[in-house]
Amino acid sequence: MSQIGAESYEQIMAGVAADPRMDRDNVSAPAGAAASLSRLLLGAGAAGLAITLVGGFVLGAQHALASYVVAVGAVLAASLGALCMLMIFHLVNAGWVATTRRQFENLASLAPVALLLMLPALLIDLVVTKGALWEWMNPEAAANDFLIGQKAAYLNPVRLLVFFVLYFALWGGVSHRLRALSVEQDRTGDRFLTMKARFMSAWALPLTALTVAFAGFDYFMSIQPHFFSTMWGVYIFAGGVCAAVAIVILTFCFLQFVGRMQGLVTPEHYHDLGKLLFAFCCFWAYIGFSQYFLIWYANIPEETFWMLERTTGAWRGTAIFLAVGHFGIPFFFLMPRTVKRRPLFIGIGAAWVLFMHVIDYVWIVRPVLHHGGHAPTPASWWLDIAAIVGVFGIFFGLYVIRLGSVSLTPMRDPKLPEALKHKNYV
Amino acid sequence: MTSFHPDKVTAERLTGNKASTGPQGPPRDDGTLLEDPSVRSPLVLNNRSLHDVTEIVCGYAENPPGKWWLPLFMFTATVAGIGTLMILYLLITGVGVWGLNNQVGWAWDITNFVFWIGIGHAGTLISAILCLFKQKWRTAVNRSAEAMTIFAVICAGIFPGIHVGRVWFIWYVFPIPNSNAIWPNFRSPLLWDVFAVSTYATVSLLFWFMGMIPDFATLRDRADKRLRAGSGLSKLSVQCPITGIKFFSLPFSADGVRALVYGFLALGWRGSSRHWHRYEAAYLILAGVATPLVLSVHSIVSFDFATSVIPGWHTTIFPPYFVAGAIFGGFAMVLFLLIPAREIFPNFKDILTLRHLENMAKIILVTGMMVGFAYAMEFFIAWYGGNKFEVEVFINRATGPYWWAYWTMIFCNVVTPQVFWKRSMRTSPLAIWTVALFVTVGMWFERFVIIVSSLHRAFLPGEWHMFFPTAVDILTFVGSCGIFLTLFLLFLRFLPIFPLAEIKAVMPQGDPHGHSDDHDQSDKNNAEGGH
Repeated sequence: MSQIGAESYEQIMAGVAADPRMDRDNVSAPAGAAASLSRLLLGAGAAGLAITLVGGFVLGAQHALASYVVAVGAVLAASLGALCMLMIFHLVNAGWVATTRRQFENLASLAPVALLLMLPALLIDLVVTKGALWEWMNPEAAANDFLIGQKAAYLNPVRLLVFFVLYFALWGGVSHRLRALSVEQDRTGDRFLTMKARFMSAWALPLTALTVAFAGFDYFMSIQPHFFSTMWGVYIFAGGVCAAVAIVILTFCFLQFVGRMQGLVTPEHYHDLGKLLFAFCCFWAYIGFSQYFLIWYANIPEETFWMLERTTGAWRGTAIFLAVGHFGIPFFFLMPRTVKRRPLFIGIGAAWVLFMHVIDYVWIVRPVLHHGGHAPTPASWWLDIAAIVGVFGIFFGLYVIRLGSVSLTPMRDPKLPEALKHKNYV
Repeated sequence: MTSFHPDKVTAERLTGNKASTGPQGPPRDDGTLLEDPSVRSPLVLNNRSLHDVTEIVCGYAENPPGKWWLPLFMFTATVAGIGTLMILYLLITGVGVWGLNNQVGWAWDITNFVFWIGIGHAGTLISAILCLFKQKWRTAVNRSAEAMTIFAVICAGIFPGIHVGRVWFIWYVFPIPNSNAIWPNFRSPLLWDVFAVSTYATVSLLFWFMGMIPDFATLRDRADKRLRAGSGLSKLSVQCPITGIKFFSLPFSADGVRALVYGFLALGWRGSSRHWHRYEAAYLILAGVATPLVLSVHSIVSFDFATSVIPGWHTTIFPPYFVAGAIFGGFAMVLFLLIPAREIFPNFKDILTLRHLENMAKIILVTGMMVGFAYAMEFFIAWYGGNKFEVEVFINRATGPYWWAYWTMIFCNVVTPQVFWKRSMRTSPLAIWTVALFVTVGMWFERFVIIVSSLHRAFLPGEWHMFFPTAVDILTFVGSCGIFLTLFLLFLRFLPIFPLAEIKAVMPQGDPHGHSDDHDQSDKNNAEGGH
């Protein structure tokens, strides 16, 4: 059992390197196709953002900002979910995940990008539209609204931007470093880089948990500055992990469809990723239900107004759709073993969860437009779709570039031998 | 890290070539604390064969315990008896014997209830969630942690039962049809508690018992074999525990009793592949069923508080915060009891290695930080929410008359686990045991702080009252600890305290791919092995 010295490790890794599955063709994205796909996505994204900007003039700044923040929120949470999962994988010494971890790294490394995408919305609302979406950004809000005045020590532009920089530094630094360590290991084969990644994950995970919660307060909860919930950060995290796992599953479905990663991501890996997707859909439902239920049951007007806007009237249908679509459907669909083990089925499930993740952000952000009797007509949804296409185009365009720039799987990870023969025995 | 190449250090230490020299000094660990990410730590040490494991684990149940066992058992049983007397006194006299008053209607009773319910969660987490996550190291602790779950639920169940005042009406908590057509309030979380806790107790008991069936069969067969061989026929006798003078003989032998009792508990287990197949399937299903229970039970306990409008109780993060706290406190109790057991029982360290302790110390650290995260969120949102009663409650917790309880909680739950950032701390049994003690105390205080500090100051100053525990309060709680420890000592004495089959499955001999990797040891063990 324990007779492992340096020599036998070299032999094992030589065996891995000689494995036909680790062939260069199999582990690198098709160069030309990746480039043209990313150009296509970035082009669509630019067009979508341009339409969003136009929509801001047509339908009002508040609507355009809300639609934009829905889309950025969805990708920001997804990339932060990937960052959290990546750190957890390192911390629990996960073996099976070695062949799939690179995609979590790619996705996590876009967290600072997603955060930067949030910046224009913040600056526009601070400088130009003065609190069209984030009411408290209006310089007069603190004087006119008692509660906003009370919270001015937190809800003010200086604090917002300082925290923005902190988030950027932490998420950017950690996600970049974790990915760089993994890529460096591809080159040098030094297995102790894994220990460095684990060490970094250990101190960065608690900080990430705190910053995810506060970013959730800053960008989403404070859209309605009277609302407060201690659960908020956990809710953002739970939804983000669902989306992250869904994106990674979709990435592999797509890569295998174009003939890459053959034999590296087996039904066993899909099975485990599917279990994670299933588990986090349940966890999201648990957190979302607890938050809703406690506010509903205690029935204190300070909190219920937020839920009432989202569960009665025009948004009632969305709330039900969210509960059914983000929990009920995935719960039953992802339950059977056969579904989790087939790329086509699990891909459909993942795409659905990703769609519902966007709906989640629609549900969080968009009802704010219904304040003061102003109710956008259903016909105005083109603006939301444009913003989602815009942000998703940019985000996934960059994701494809990340994907093409390094090998699709860690090449010399010490856990590779384990991941390559991973089986889901009972 | 040393300048010496870690590969070489690890390799030489593991092969035994480097016992006490080298830049790291003498190895202070048992060889399971590997720094090498390419190697999984061995889960059973000292090159044990499958048969050795059977001998070790069955030996605990078959051989007389050390001299420590009986005095300790008598002590804890006495404490349990005192607790029982206190409960009897309460029933005869009424809840006035506790320190409750008009304002503080819940205090130590519900604190103890939540404390004990929480203790059980480590067992369910290890047996269910870690099973689904295929965490092989869980096999060293799952049986004893599951046992603690059962015993903790027993202790927990006492308090809601006796705190109602008219205890003869406690059956009203169950929705039993009666001639007065009185039903419990189905909209009350207190009723959901009844369902949640009783479901939890049932599933945990099933899980625990089902896991033991093959091991009961092993114990039965061993006793039976000795009886047939004629070596287990000497009659039991009752003798003085101190002088050893024999009082009288009983008409049956120890192995006869074992064959009968373990045989009864083994439910006709014959170890056929059909039995194993169904066992594995049932185990997985129970793990799947028990997983939501880990979350649901303490979530519903948290609803008891969070559905109210009392400042300090009503906050949305309570469900996951309570669950994290329960796992935190549960692991502390597991470590608190197993670390001494590891020192006392022979060969225990071969199965419960330092790596296991380190893993559990990490879980203490991470759940401790989750609890700390929740404390921070509560404090921040209390301010951010802008409700002055909420803010006052939190300021009162930290600076009011119960400041000492609050800061005890913070110190024990948030500060002490931070020592586990240092590896030498989370691999030192003494350090882990000390932290586990602190955490156990801290988690009791957490519930005390939540319950009493929120209740003792209501909205009107005229309603402010302090709570002071009476001797009955204190002795009832101490008595519940006695009940818990007594049951645990009985478990250590008479039941298989490790899951034999599961441990064997995580040994190198149990690995279906064993031959591709670690030829030498696997072959050797296979040759010796077998049971």
